[in-house]
Amino acid sequence: MEGLFFNVNNGYIEGIVRGYRNGLLTGQNYNNLTQCETIDDLKLQLGPAYGDFLASLPPNPSTSTLAEKTTDKLIAEFRYVRANAVGALAKFMDYLTYGYMIDNVALLITGTLHERDTRELLERCHPLGWFETMPVLCVATNIEELYNSVLIETPLAPYFKGSLSHQDLDELNIEIVRNTLYKNYLEDFNNFVNTDPDMAGTPTAEVMTEILEFEADRRAINITLNSFGTDLSKTDRKKLYPSFGRLYPEGSYMLSRAEDVEGVRLAVEGVSDYKTYFDAAGMGQSSAGAGNMSGGTGGDGKSLEDLFYQKEMEISKSAFTRQFSFAIVYAWVKLREQEIRNITWIAECIAQNQKERIGNYISVF
Amino acid sequence: MAAPASAYKDRQFLAVIGDEDSVTGLLLAGIGHVTQPPDSQKNFLVVDSKTDNAAIEEAFNRFTTERKDIGILLINQHIAERIRHRVDTYTAAFPALLEIPSKDHPYDPEKDSVLRRVRRLFGE
Amino acid sequence: MSGAGNREAVFPTRQSLGLMKSKLKGAQTGHDLLKRKNVSEVIYHDPILPGISSYEITEITRRIDEAKRKMGRVMQIAAFSLAEVTYAVGGDIGYQVQESAKSARFRVRTKQENVSGVFLPAFESYTTDGNNDFGLTGLGKGGQQVQRCRETYARAVETLVELASLQTAFVILDEVIKVVNRRVNAIISEHVIIPRTENTIKYINSELDELDREEFFRLKKVQNKKQRDTAAQDAEMRLKRDAAEKAEAASGSTSSDKENELGTGDILGESEDADVIF
Repeated sequence: MEGLFFNVNNGYIEGIVRGYRNGLLTGQNYNNLTQCETIDDLKLQLGPAYGDFLASLPPNPSTSTLAEKTTDKLIAEFRYVRANAVGALAKFMDYLTYGYMIDNVALLITGTLHERDTRELLERCHPLGWFETMPVLCVATNIEELYNSVLIETPLAPYFKGSLSHQDLDELNIEIVRNTLYKNYLEDFNNFVNTDPDMAGTPTAEVMTEILEFEADRRAINITLNSFGTDLSKTDRKKLYPSFGRLYPEGSYMLSRAEDVEGVRLAVEGVSDYKTYFDAAGMGQSSAGAGNMSGGTGGDGKSLEDLFYQKEMEISKSAFTRQFSFAIVYAWVKLREQEIRNITWIAECIAQNQKERIGNYISVF
Repeated sequence: MAAPASAYKDRQFLAVIGDEDSVTGLLLAGIGHVTQPPDSQKNFLVVDSKTDNAAIEEAFNRFTTERKDIGILLINQHIAERIRHRVDTYTAAFPALLEIPSKDHPYDPEKDSVLRRVRRLFGE
Repeated sequence: MSGAGNREAVFPTRQSLGLMKSKLKGAQTGHDLLKRKNVSEVIYHDPILPGISSYEITEITRRIDEAKRKMGRVMQIAAFSLAEVTYAVGGDIGYQVQESAKSARFRVRTKQENVSGVFLPAFESYTTDGNNDFGLTGLGKGGQQVQRCRETYARAVETLVELASLQTAFVILDEVIKVVNRRVNAIISEHVIIPRTENTIKYINSELDELDREEFFRLKKVQNKKQRDTAAQDAEMRLKRDAAEKAEAASGSTSSDKENELGTGDILGESEDADVIF
């Protein structure tokens, strides 16, 4: 049924996004990129995909400006799609930006807490998480004012309400604030795709649930792993786990009681995917190594985070196999973000002459 | 015999003047320190393209002469270049001044004021 | 031409010989002075720096040089681990890190180290416990990379601290180094400048001698030739005289005139010879 009227409102968007998806760099492109000797070569190789956006770069640009310009393209395309979206899709795309908004608000909270001029922070904010009233938040000089204006001016209000007071912003570590918000956001997003009349029971809900559940589990596992050795208590930690996902509720409960990597491994045992990752990353054995991504330890094994990213990309890729779904927009943004991170990584490896690690990018096409 | 203990015994911090990446990395290592309020002085300065040389010099003076709790001052070499006259004329033993490379500017021994002195000494 | 490789490029003239001689004299005087006030004596009288050997200074400078180069590599690896954080977190953590810095976990202790009787300052790094400003950074994403990066940077900073110790030692030893520099000059003067000047003088002398010998030989040759010529003339003369005497004996009237002519000729020949001899 959903296919009957989908194209009336959303056919154009779907076409555009599928076009964008075809513009993503392929394994062959990445191969060419890794052969580059200088950033200028890299720029040249990126020409077909990013031409206009890289044209203004000076010779041998720094990797951060390269990342900035490639992000600009994503932003431009996202805004175009958003401008053409109507109804539930428009709302869906707004939800997509809330995640970035959380990061931006966390940044502003940090600035306000330390009595910095938050206006300087605006340019550091992620453009996808930009909202019109953001400059208003900069007027706030103390945390209570900021808290109130966040409640009034931003779509994030429901995520604050009930779980964070303005004293909390002052007292809690900003990472806990951020992750609390993110948990609320994920739950809300999940609820939205499964209850909105335009989406419930459609492929959108199906694919998005899979993506969001994975995201929720990933966060829960990461938070647990990263909290070892810090002063984050188990009860506080438990509050950061989203209340859905494939690990929820048994796995989450076990995660909340885990005291070491082994405990996490046991907790995820019930989900075969995650169990495979733990085995592949060599976690839960004697050394709780962060894996291959760090410190030049070499080897072909991937870290758990790498495997999670890989999985996210595969889910995103498979989202495109479904017709009449909003999820492709989400998947496209994620794929694009990964592409930007890949390019930045390759550029970084070239710039810093660390070619042996250059193959660490994630490519699914 | 020895230099008076008062000249160095309180010097327990490192300070850094550098670009964002260098400062972030060094702060992650745990060198960051902010003194007690109300003055809340930081022991680091992030320099970007908008920072003018006067601000760098001021921070340099603050870390080298005003503050007595800095043992080592790290400065990115490309930033040291911008206030080279100050760096070259700095000869005090405390705090020790160290030129370090940054991500985008690899280390060039030719520019290092101390290494230049070493070179000159051996007539190389 | 002994020592041709180690002498100054001069024309072997008497003027340059004079110059070289005065230069040698200057170098010797200077060297004597440097020697008399040599480095061990200077340091012995200097209350701050009792007897540090030039070996130790060379050692320190060598280690500074080495450590500085090592630092370049270490910092590069550290910078790369930060790039990994950026990759894993998927964003910039710079601002957050700057703002969450409160109390230094990594500190240095300044102490003095006894290096063969000289007190050199040294830094020693230590970390304070229970002081973790960034423990939760990257909690939701990339936390493992952040931790790894912290370790990498902590190791890098340890290298920097080590380097700072060396460098401070260097700065404090700068005075000593200047003195050593003088000693180096003394050595240079003893082993390079003086022998070289001496060589040059020797060379000039030998060249001048050689010229003298050549000249002497040439003059001798000329003299020989002259003598031979005179002898030939004499013989001719004698023949003529004999012929004349015979003719006189035949005629007997013009003999006295001829005698007079020959006498003047002899006198001229003799005066010429005398000139040549001079």
